[in-house]
Amino acid sequence: MDTVQDTGARRTVKLLIVDDSNIVRRRIERSQQFDDLQVVGTAANGLEALELARRTNPDLVTMDLTMPQMDGIECITQLVQMKPEVRILVISALADKATAVEAMERGANGFLNKPFTDRQLNEAIAELMY
Amino acid sequence: MLLSGVDRNRRLLTAAAGIVLAAVMGLVLIAGFRLATQIRANVGTLQQASELEAYPSAISEQLTALRQRLDTLEYTGHVHGELASSVRGFNRDFTALEHQKGIDPTAMRAAVALWTNYTPVLAKVLSYHGEPYSDTATNSSLSRSGRVFYAHVRRAELFAQANAAALHRELAVVSASLQARTAAAASRLRWLLSGGVLAVLLLGLAAAYLQVARGRGERAARDAQDQTRDILATVREGFFLLDADYRIGAVWSQALTTMFGRGDFAGLTFEELLRDKVPTETLNTAMKFIKLLWGERAHENLMKSINPLGQLEVTMDNGRGGKETRYLQFDFHRVMGPKGVKHVLCAVGDITSSVMLTRELHEAQENAHSQIDMMVGMLHSDPLQLGSFLDSASAGLKHVNAILKEPARTHAEFSKKLSGLARELHSMKGEAAALNLMSIAQRVHHLEDMLAELKARSELTGNDFLPLVLKLDELLAHLRGVREMTLKLSSLREQPSPADGTLSTPALRVPTAGPEELASTLQSLAHKLAEDHGKDFKLALSGLAQCPPAYLGMLKDCLIQMLRNAAVHGIEANEVRRAGAKSGGGQVRVDFRRVESGYELTFEDDGAGLSPEALKEAAVRKKLLSEEQAAQLDNRAALALIFKPGFSTRNEVSMDAGRGAGMDVVAKAVYGLGGRIGVSTNPGRYTRFKIALPALGETAVA
Repeated sequence: MDTVQDTGARRTVKLLIVDDSNIVRRRIERSQQFDDLQVVGTAANGLEALELARRTNPDLVTMDLTMPQMDGIECITQLVQMKPEVRILVISALADKATAVEAMERGANGFLNKPFTDRQLNEAIAELMY
Repeated sequence: MLLSGVDRNRRLLTAAAGIVLAAVMGLVLIAGFRLATQIRANVGTLQQASELEAYPSAISEQLTALRQRLDTLEYTGHVHGELASSVRGFNRDFTALEHQKGIDPTAMRAAVALWTNYTPVLAKVLSYHGEPYSDTATNSSLSRSGRVFYAHVRRAELFAQANAAALHRELAVVSASLQARTAAAASRLRWLLSGGVLAVLLLGLAAAYLQVARGRGERAARDAQDQTRDILATVREGFFLLDADYRIGAVWSQALTTMFGRGDFAGLTFEELLRDKVPTETLNTAMKFIKLLWGERAHENLMKSINPLGQLEVTMDNGRGGKETRYLQFDFHRVMGPKGVKHVLCAVGDITSSVMLTRELHEAQENAHSQIDMMVGMLHSDPLQLGSFLDSASAGLKHVNAILKEPARTHAEFSKKLSGLARELHSMKGEAAALNLMSIAQRVHHLEDMLAELKARSELTGNDFLPLVLKLDELLAHLRGVREMTLKLSSLREQPSPADGTLSTPALRVPTAGPEELASTLQSLAHKLAEDHGKDFKLALSGLAQCPPAYLGMLKDCLIQMLRNAAVHGIEANEVRRAGAKSGGGQVRVDFRRVESGYELTFEDDGAGLSPEALKEAAVRKKLLSEEQAAQLDNRAALALIFKPGFSTRNEVSMDAGRGAGMDVVAKAVYGLGGRIGVSTNPGRYTRFKIALPALGETAVA
């Protein structure tokens, strides 16, 4: 009977963190408080993120917008084409609302302003995934 | 709109009441009809029964009459016929009655039994046919058959006499039972009719009540509509609904009309509402955002956080032919229907005044900050220095006024006026900055900007100087304020100390700045310049104490100017210095000494030095020289260009340099005292100014 109960549990959510700042990446990794959330990779720019997404097949991606080589908007566009079911949480310090709207239009699912508290981060993730 | 549910219920109730009323009336009618039919049948039967009651005595009497006629030998034919008819009638009616319902069965059975006994006795009488008398003409006596007939009649008479009462009694009971039944049916009909009337009355009352209630409901709905209209007319926010085509609905609040200066909102798209009022880019973002509101990803909080129309700057016609800028705040709320988003409710607020207030607050804060900065600066500086600055600034402004009052007609004269003003103001700014009196320095800087603008004009008239005069008045008022504050500060400093209670010297002393004050002014200016321009250098002063008081003022002016030039033009940025393999910090050296012929000031910085070619190019660019003239200059002459009025090598204007009034002021001051000025440089290594001043008392001779 125990095995039946086990199958009722939520499956692991695979998280990919994309941010050009090492500090922010580590911050997100440490602050998330979900037992069933598994960080499958961290990327410092859009190109790395796409490559990692191809390999690790994440369910959730936290996405910075201003990054070298390939910015967040472009990365979201390609990511959604590649994996339409992926959920994208934009985490950005951009006060520019137009960019936030643009990100949502390209397929982002949530928006979190930097700087953020642990609680805000966890609430934003929970809203997208559960 | 809110009452529609209640209204519908009320209508249903009314219809139901109508149906019930009709059904009840139908039932009453059917039941009444059946009862009436039954009563009618009963009445017929009752008539038969009461008629039957008469037969037994009638038969009995007819038999007696028949017997008497036989006794008296009279004619019997018609009596016999009557009897036969009676019996036939009784038989007929009795048989019909037997099958009627509701008759007392006991009485009926008894009556039937009695009549059954009658039948054979009567049959013998009725079956007689013929003449009972022997002589038909005279009826003299009974014939043989007559005698038999007589015997039958007599027996029947006796039987009838014996049984008529009993039969009549039984028939009366039957009749009574029928009567009772009819009465019961009539009573039922009465009740039924009463019930029917009551039901009709009740239903009528209910219908009337519902009608009244409906009227009240309609009135309430009308009132609610009125109230909605009043709310929409009074509320200060603009409210409207957007449908899935981003079109505005039929209802909107009146405030929109004043906000957008139009009244035709119904059916207008959101894009049309904002077009021509906001930049295209903003409009595109807004439309993208609104599109997102209809999507399933649009959580209220998320959409609120990325709302690009939270503070929208719109340009409107002000109704007087001009344009005005207003700030609008758009809030969006999704109205959900059974099939997802039904409408989006937009709330628009005019936040212009609050935005303006925030700005004013910000400016006031900045002002307060700069005032505090100034006070702190004043606290940190020597009151003597401050006093001397204020004196020289007042004198300077008086001079400026004098220059402004000079009559001028030609462009050249106006130009000269401007140059004079510029020189005066520039040195005032330098001193203010040196004393950290930024509020004064900024005001003078502003004046200089106005001068520069005037200088750039090809034509000048006296009127062009008017704004300048106003600005100067403002500066004078500010200076007065600063002076008052200085007095207050110095009186604070000179308060009698509570320990000994003696009065110290009065607050105002004659401000004569000595060499020590000059040294500290220069050091603090050097520090400030280094900070402002991101340069790193040290100022080394020597021999200033040997300066005679008569030269001190001029020395100060010149040194401030040269120090500023060195900081801006001379000393390189740190990176440049490192690249040129120079030591980390720059060095500015000032040396004043007595020499045989009088005094000598050396001012040297180990900065970039001067490039004669760059100076020539700058002079050509500033149109101080033609290209041909420049080409003919040797290096010495090129270096001397920096003493020409209006020269500067920097293109952009900063507070400290770049106005071309730099070395020009110094040279003029030096020449004014009968001195000489020279410059030597080694590009990339140093710039050195040497100023020779005559010994005091020899001025006149030189």
